[in-house]
Amino acid sequence: MGKRGGGLTNRVRELRDSAGLTQQQLADAVGVTRQTVIAIERNRYSPSLEVAFRVALALGSPIGDVFAYSAEQR
Amino acid sequence: MTFAEKSLWATVATVSAVFLTYFAAALPVRNGTDVGPVRVVWFVLAVVALAVTQGVAHAVLAVLDRRTDTDERGRLIELRGVRNGAYVLATAVFTALCAAIVTEGNAIFVHVLLAGWVAAQLVESGSQLVLYRRPV
Repeated sequence: MGKRGGGLTNRVRELRDSAGLTQQQLADAVGVTRQTVIAIERNRYSPSLEVAFRVALALGSPIGDVFAYSAEQR
Repeated sequence: MTFAEKSLWATVATVSAVFLTYFAAALPVRNGTDVGPVRVVWFVLAVVALAVTQGVAHAVLAVLDRRTDTDERGRLIELRGVRNGAYVLATAVFTALCAAIVTEGNAIFVHVLLAGWVAAQLVESGSQLVLYRRPV
């Protein structure tokens, strides 16, 4: 996890692979650049709540299944 | 590499090339002298060269890379870059004011201020390039 990623973890890469989406396809569906999808998957960027919801929507999963927060990791 | 990163590299390259050339031609400036017509012409030529090279570079990049859109991460990185550049520019303005007090003529004051602006531009773009590769 990136130092600035805080306690936010995600399963974006795993769920994206399961959905058969490329990084670019997910980026287009969410409305961000492919580099931002890469940064989210590597926990190098914590997205806004709106983008997090859009990622979950694009992956067809509840947001709680995609993103998780653990206070212990901060 | 996104369009934004390529654009930043183009800015760093053009600002560096144009103003290194200008300062190589204009420096040194002596205490007690004013900025003469020759240096004013060089400065105007530098500004025109900067506008032309940046315009051409960004037009070429836009043609080669159709994805010119940005997102929230890009905007956050841009804001942090602008903030970093603003610190440098504020320092440069203060330094130039000190130079204006302790030197005679306006040549040193003007060139300290110009060098500070160039440094601020390079820090603004350079720090964004670093932030694109690090956790934000």
